[in-house]
Amino acid sequence: MSTFRRVFSSSVGTKLLIGLTGLAMFVYLILHLIGNALIFAGPDTFNHYSHALISNPLIIPIETGLLLIFLLHVYKTIVNYFSNQSARPTGYAEKKFAGHTSRKSVASSTMIFSGLVLLLFVVIHVKQFKYGAWYLTTTAPSVRDLARLEFEVFRQPLWVAFYALCTIVVGLHLRHGIASGFQSIGFDHPVYTRRLTVTGVVLAIIIGGGLAFIPVWVYFTQ
Amino acid sequence: MRINLKIWRQSGPDKPGRFVEYTAPDVSPDMSFLEMLDVINEELIVKGEDPIAFDSDCREGICGTCGFLVSGVPHGPEPGTTVCQLHMRHFKDGDRLTLEPWRAKAFPVIKDLVVDRSAFDRIIQAGGYTSVNVGGAQDANAILIPGTLAEKAMDSAACIGCGACVAACKNASAALFTSAKISHLALLPQGQIERRARAIAMVERHDDEGFGSCSNEGECEAVCPKEIPITNIARMNREYFRAMLISRD
Repeated sequence: MSTFRRVFSSSVGTKLLIGLTGLAMFVYLILHLIGNALIFAGPDTFNHYSHALISNPLIIPIETGLLLIFLLHVYKTIVNYFSNQSARPTGYAEKKFAGHTSRKSVASSTMIFSGLVLLLFVVIHVKQFKYGAWYLTTTAPSVRDLARLEFEVFRQPLWVAFYALCTIVVGLHLRHGIASGFQSIGFDHPVYTRRLTVTGVVLAIIIGGGLAFIPVWVYFTQ
Repeated sequence: MRINLKIWRQSGPDKPGRFVEYTAPDVSPDMSFLEMLDVINEELIVKGEDPIAFDSDCREGICGTCGFLVSGVPHGPEPGTTVCQLHMRHFKDGDRLTLEPWRAKAFPVIKDLVVDRSAFDRIIQAGGYTSVNVGGAQDANAILIPGTLAEKAMDSAACIGCGACVAACKNASAALFTSAKISHLALLPQGQIERRARAIAMVERHDDEGFGSCSNEGECEAVCPKEIPITNIARMNREYFRAMLISRD
């Protein structure tokens, strides 16, 4: 086996890939949240930002890269899940959280499930917005009126509930994922690791809460 | 005090196992957990029954031989304690406790609460040593080691290899054990010569034994009788990446 394949099929290398791809998507989510928040500045600002993004020639390679990162993360985590399951063929009759210094949480225990929810969510979300209705703005210069599509979707309470729930799952996934990703790539520092863990939780709440707030805000104000 | 126990009984490696109920009617709070089992076993022997098999050796919490789950937690509810040093004063009269062996593909049950932990020995054999000939004893200060590093190395070397980390981990990963064994040598000058080969060989042996990967939950650290931190796992990851991806000697 080549060195490359040996590394990335090992338990440690698998987690390196999962950590790196996860952290890359975390960085993307920060940018995505900031971009989405432009809707608060009004539909025109939001539409022009979205136009600037899609008219940039770099968008194709960036999107392709993101897609590959996403698929690699999904593939590696699913393979890893099954190999971890096979490491304990007989389960315990009674098993408790150890407490004490453990960081085990609802978020960390449900990563594969929250991840599968997000996989489904991302497919629906991309189809609904990126490949959704292509309205044009009436004011010149005419660009895609993504704000109109957003308002149409989030005027429907079921979609608002769906997006709010799924983005809270994003927060839940990040609640464990951020600190875990840094640990997997080998980051440890006597002071910064602790701060990073706390910052990770705060960012998970900001990103999950922020993404969930937007559809609710649209529903009640637009 | 009276303690009710539900204990995993399995007569041999390939035999089916089941839980059997026992009662220890007169337990002293000063007894250790294993001493309570000794008393139950004495009665079983008098009755002509097979005593409950469990591992133990030093009974001072330093050898790493004992260990099983007490009501869902490896080594029981007290942090930083092996089950031999777990005293009955931490339990109440009438408590109902479940005793179960470590469960992992790499740790097959031999009998009752005893599991085969030779997978750990094979991880050590893969690289957890220094094989260089260091010659005769030299001046104590010829190799300077900063105190902070010596402390860190000692913290990692405190691992007694009991296997509680594997037992607690939802993935039955031995990442904490392997990382502690890689760390205590990687931190010291004496461990430098085989540092890269060691990290690769021990991680690959870990995987070949059938242990899972680390989910960074820290259940292992929480149940570790020596409270070895999972920062060792981050170090193992770095050691492995450096050995495999950055420079291979």
